[in-house]
Amino acid sequence: MKNVIVACGSGVATSQTVASKVKRILDENNVRANVEAVDIKSLDSYIRSADVYVSITKSNKEYEIPTLNGIAFLTGMGLEEEKQKLIDALK
Amino acid sequence: MEVLQNAVQYVLDMGASVFVPIIMLVIGLIARMKFKDALSAAIIFGVAFSGMTLVVDYMLSAISPAAQTFAENTGINLTSVDGGWTTAAAITWSWPFAFLMFPILVIINITMLAFKWTKTLNVDVWNVWGKIFTAILVTYLSGSIVAGFIVASIQVIVELKIGDVWGREVEDLTGIPGVTVPHHMTLVASLLYPIDKLMDKVPFLNKKMDAEALRDKLGVFAENHIMGGIIGLLLGLAASYSIQESLILAIQAATALTLFPMVSKLFMQALSPISDAISDFMKKRFEDREILIGLDWPILAGRNEIWVTAIIIVPVLLLFAVTLPGNTVLPFGGIINLSIVVGAVLLTRGNLVRMIIYGIITAPVFLYISTYFSPYITRLAKETGAVNVEEGSMLTWSTIENGEFKLFFANAMNGEWWAILASIGWLAIFTYFVIGRQKDNDKYFAEDIEEANS
Repeated sequence: MKNVIVACGSGVATSQTVASKVKRILDENNVRANVEAVDIKSLDSYIRSADVYVSITKSNKEYEIPTLNGIAFLTGMGLEEEKQKLIDALK
Repeated sequence: MEVLQNAVQYVLDMGASVFVPIIMLVIGLIARMKFKDALSAAIIFGVAFSGMTLVVDYMLSAISPAAQTFAENTGINLTSVDGGWTTAAAITWSWPFAFLMFPILVIINITMLAFKWTKTLNVDVWNVWGKIFTAILVTYLSGSIVAGFIVASIQVIVELKIGDVWGREVEDLTGIPGVTVPHHMTLVASLLYPIDKLMDKVPFLNKKMDAEALRDKLGVFAENHIMGGIIGLLLGLAASYSIQESLILAIQAATALTLFPMVSKLFMQALSPISDAISDFMKKRFEDREILIGLDWPILAGRNEIWVTAIIIVPVLLLFAVTLPGNTVLPFGGIINLSIVVGAVLLTRGNLVRMIIYGIITAPVFLYISTYFSPYITRLAKETGAVNVEEGSMLTWSTIENGEFKLFFANAMNGEWWAILASIGWLAIFTYFVIGRQKDNDKYFAEDIEEANS
């Protein structure tokens, strides 16, 4: 199964909010994947086993896997576009 | 009436891990969630409580004996063990009146938006716990639940007002437009604001520093298991444990700090349907208005200055903890002091040197306020049955967010004259900050545009 990770400052609140939302969107679209909220301080060790990274922060670092804009999931602005990218990346 | 009282008492006696899920289930059904989903969220909440109880008990059973031995050997009495904000949040949710805060929050925010007293729509429903936490401390100190909710309501209002201020800083620091961080901990910036104005006049303190290189070198220390391991080892050695025992304590401490967030995110998982429903409800009402959407602080977590400052002040906090007379707090779970760095990064617009200075000068204040509130936090843990705290030791949070606000207003509600004056003073400085900072921002961002045009 593919893995989606969402990172925030502690891996507790914001990342879990987004992760729950991502999980619901995937369920609605019948896409099976693990979604995990992680601590941004340990991001480098999680990103190796991930297929999609949903980012809540702006970073200069480039990752090899598709990176989505997590803010869209929080504010609802630009959400449809990110949803599509998410589903495409996991198909 | 008596039957009702007995029924309520019966439910409360089962402890937070049962009655809060029951409340959740009822709220879920009222919000027309499917029974299956509401039940799932309710049970996850119970699991979060039980899990948190396990981990906090585990932490206390490992750390408390070492802290006590350290105290016996040295006379330095650090018996209030710091469970960090994750522990504070867990026991806060276990307060019987916690859920009353949700409607209060929604009503205040919608009213203020309707009257154009704010442009911030706070959809960060997780941090409702911070307002409940204030309500609890005020209730304990003043003996009045009404007073608790009054102060918590004031907190909601000042958070929205500071949200109005931060929109531009957040866009400047993260590049994300239309959002802000109306987080309680950023209010520390208002008290630091006069100092920051003075620092503007010091040439050396205006230099921008590159935090990225430092972050790459130091970043690994901010990881929970490494931080926990180091503190556990230091504590073991300080308590004159043998090398063997110290290493065992190091792993136990690392385990506790690693598991805290893992268990804590279960709370968010359980709350997520409610928080979605509330934020959708509020967003829908103001779709066509220009508003700032208030989010939790981690949208700033990509700023390296935050982590570099937090790590640099860890030894400072430890050093103050063992040297400050009267301090009883042993910093542990809350040692990554987000309560200063997030406010400081916004206030200083990412100026690393100033952030470190603020981290250092505020460290004693954090420790003393935590010492002051530790009996009340311990009382909450005991009363709700959330955590076992042994006689002779206490539970606390070393870096309580905006503790001055809680200290002043709680004592003011208790009728203390000094505190009433201090609360008025606090509001005056806050007002000075909100007005002054908006002017500063107008100037700061106007210069930016000029530079871009030239």
